[in-house]
Amino acid sequence: MQTVYLKEHEGNAHNFVGTLSSAASAPWWSAFGSQSVHQGESCGQVKPFSLELPNCIDQLAATKPLARGADQVLGKGHITQFTIFPDDCKMSDDAQKLQTTMSLQSSLTDPQSRFEIGFSLPTICAKYPYTDQFYGLFSAYAPQISGRIMLPLNMTSDDEPIYVNAKQYHGIIRRRQSRAKAVLDHKLTKRRKPYMHESRHLHAMRRPRGCGGRFLNTKNSVDGNGKIGNEVHKTVGEQLQSSGSQSSEFLQSEVGTFNSSKETNGSSPNISGSEVTSMYSRGGLDSFSLNHLGSAVHSFADMIDGGRGMIIPTKWVAAAGNCCNLKV
Amino acid sequence: MSDAPASPCGGGGGGSHESGEHSPRSNFREQDRFLPIANISRIMKKALPPNGKIAKDAKETVQECVSEFISFVTSEASDKCQREKRKTINGDDLLWAMTTLGFEEYIDPLKVYLAAYREGDSKGSAKGGDASAKRDVYQSPNGQVAHQGSFSQGVNYTNS
Repeated sequence: MQTVYLKEHEGNAHNFVGTLSSAASAPWWSAFGSQSVHQGESCGQVKPFSLELPNCIDQLAATKPLARGADQVLGKGHITQFTIFPDDCKMSDDAQKLQTTMSLQSSLTDPQSRFEIGFSLPTICAKYPYTDQFYGLFSAYAPQISGRIMLPLNMTSDDEPIYVNAKQYHGIIRRRQSRAKAVLDHKLTKRRKPYMHESRHLHAMRRPRGCGGRFLNTKNSVDGNGKIGNEVHKTVGEQLQSSGSQSSEFLQSEVGTFNSSKETNGSSPNISGSEVTSMYSRGGLDSFSLNHLGSAVHSFADMIDGGRGMIIPTKWVAAAGNCCNLKV
Repeated sequence: MSDAPASPCGGGGGGSHESGEHSPRSNFREQDRFLPIANISRIMKKALPPNGKIAKDAKETVQECVSEFISFVTSEASDKCQREKRKTINGDDLLWAMTTLGFEEYIDPLKVYLAAYREGDSKGSAKGGDASAKRDVYQSPNGQVAHQGSFSQGVNYTNS
């Protein structure tokens, strides 16, 4: 008896935190004290397995609103199984003695699994009456506690229940409806486009490439400088556009996959600044070590910052100068 | 509600890519659904060592996740604005939405970002027309909601 009590206390320590544990443990203790005579008498008897299973089923049928709570307890850790054996004796003594109903077994959604669980670990069945008390206490003391809510089964792809944060339940439902509506309205395709514009893609495919697959630009270093000069005179918006394109091309070329190469090709024409980036990347691959590649990333970040800074032309020219210097 | 403000911004983005556009609806939709993958790659790369690399499918997965998260928070804020008969979502609405959805731990750093962004905004206005033009162009490809874009820009401003 004492050992069982200690186990239950350990279970309480694991399940409750802070003030809730003190609030929940007091009524349980008083209830336990008041039922001490019956507790000892009931636990003294030896009960067969077949009797415990029907009692649990009776409790489950009697407490239909708390079925979800029982499912949640099933999802919890293994410690819970060892903490509720005395409650099982008490509940069986209070509610229905030696009553067996086979029809209730058929009412369960999965009688086979329930039956197996009952035989392999008989204490699992004892979870239900304790769960009933547990949730009763919670509803009395903390009605607004945040937990998990199960999504409707028709919303999940398979039949497994999915539990989500209670705070996010309505948001998730709303977003799922919005996505379904978008699919119906626009008929979105899941497949991604390898490039944005056909003409840019065709132009990029016609450009000459080097041994590593990169564009050939070594002969245009002087022209690159000239284009940088032209870039300074463009509008602020176009500079930002060029900055974004350069960033995209640089990052894509680092990955080195075929799809990345395609996207790089798609974005490279019609923007002269990106050619400077392409030349720079090629130079980096040919002659710089790993540390230099790191510094190259930093230099490129400076270029991007220059693109968004207040004094745009000066930083832009400075960043471009750094790029050429590193290349040499 | 979240779809309606997105159309003008998406149209603007489509307009900027007007020349050589092959299939307008697909490009429009894809640009409308996701943030630019280059910006996301740059943010992801900041968390890596200098020699780290990111696979393309990893970038695309994170792109979908962050775009969905933005829509998730924005729809919550949009519901609040509809209840209060307001038409503009501001930064405080987004902070409230994140609190409601259970992301309380993010509120303190986000308040710092929001304050820094507002300070930068006032400085930008003092600078003159170029700054505001730059901000407008920058927000256009980003935004499904104007303030959402400005909030993201605030984050970038602080990071850079």
